[in-house]
Amino acid sequence: MISYQKIFEAIYISLHVSILSTLFAFFLSLFLGYLIAINKFYLKRTIVALLASLTSIPPVCAGLIVYLLISRSGPLGWMEILYTPSAMIIAQFFIIFPIMITLIINYIEEEYPRFNDELNSYGASKKDLIFLMIVNKKSIYMTVLLIGFGRAISEYGAAAIVGGSIDHVTRNMTSMIALETSKGNILLGVILGLVLILFSLTISFVMSVIKKKDNV
Amino acid sequence: MKLIKFLILFLIFSSSLLSREYIILQSTTSTANTGLLETLSDSFYKETGIEVRAISVGTGTAIQNAKRGDGDVLLVHSKSDEIEFVEEGYGVERFELMYNDFVIVGPSNDPAKIENVRSLNEVMRILHSSESKFISRDDNSGTHKKELFLWKKANLVSPISNSYIKTGTGMANTLNIAAEMQGYTLTDRGTWTTFTNKKNLKILFDKDEALYNPYGVIAINPVKFPHVEYKKSQTFIDWLINGNGKLLIKNYEVNKKKIFFINEREHNLK
Repeated sequence: MISYQKIFEAIYISLHVSILSTLFAFFLSLFLGYLIAINKFYLKRTIVALLASLTSIPPVCAGLIVYLLISRSGPLGWMEILYTPSAMIIAQFFIIFPIMITLIINYIEEEYPRFNDELNSYGASKKDLIFLMIVNKKSIYMTVLLIGFGRAISEYGAAAIVGGSIDHVTRNMTSMIALETSKGNILLGVILGLVLILFSLTISFVMSVIKKKDNV
Repeated sequence: MKLIKFLILFLIFSSSLLSREYIILQSTTSTANTGLLETLSDSFYKETGIEVRAISVGTGTAIQNAKRGDGDVLLVHSKSDEIEFVEEGYGVERFELMYNDFVIVGPSNDPAKIENVRSLNEVMRILHSSESKFISRDDNSGTHKKELFLWKKANLVSPISNSYIKTGTGMANTLNIAAEMQGYTLTDRGTWTTFTNKKNLKILFDKDEALYNPYGVIAINPVKFPHVEYKKSQTFIDWLINGNGKLLIKNYEVNKKKIFFINEREHNLK
């Protein structure tokens, strides 16, 4: 007795949440990443090191922190977002944001001086420079996006804690696999597991294609 | 900075746009795993347009979540905790909703030899001293509380030996582990009936008064938590105990077996 509707629902919820969390994390890390990498300021190294160490934050811990923040008795309880997809987006954001911003900072710190020297002689402004850096190395950003998305969609723990695994609303693929397997519906778990593996294989395939293109 | 502002605004709006046409039900794995909650919330939605979003965790966790204000209705099975919940002002009133019972399951070859023992206390004593594994929920759920009560009732302290396995997870998952480890465990009849991965586990002891399992439903107190959807919650509770919900529970079957009963008398006749 397998309900395909449920499978599609879980896939939809997973994609919806992970795509949004990836996009938010990406644009914010692009913006802040440039600010941090280009400017020199007090405590810069500490902040960069802190962000880098947060890349390995365990999803359950991120989930727990977000849960404490948005629970009704927490400081952000008034927002009424516990047990909604928005809560899952925030939790995933906390997991992937450090990864994405660290990658972007590393890239810019490496490339910026080179671009700066070269383009300054042509009289390019800082704005033009940043624009050129983004346009020139699209593949780097694609890779950052895919790494973030791959981690977000395969994460189990954070989204389950703050989403509550509610049927039709916040039950994404990973929490459905855990739930159905625990109920003894191994087959449903296997089907969803295959879909999830397919997603991550596609992502790593696309990433290797991008890298190849970049090297040519 | 604009982006951060936009992000925060988006999150606030996206949540407040979802006008609360739903209530959050803090409930237990046993009611969700049997599929009963889904049936109830589907019908309730069709009749009233109010969506019931169920969180299924252990009874202890559900009560803790409710005490933090994360929910509108509580549906659990641990009567003394429920009464305390209302007395402390978190809940409005406790209504008896339905009943079923606990059973002790174990491997069909029954290494501890409890199948022909008539007294529940004797069964607990045998399991306590036996080399065979006993799998405990250990998650403060209603079932776990019942298990602790049963040890106490037989004048025993909860086992600490290597054959006493603490899983810390839901009922179905604990049954999975019991099946894999060939151990004994206490389960509610509902989850047992719907559980599909029994392997060679079977019921070895049941039908004792101490294994009785009542479920209660409580609306969370709007005086304590002004944000709760009290009116909608009470509509749901009325629908459950007097309306169509009652009929649905009464007629709910899994594999042609009734697993929840509306009142005590019917339960004893089964």
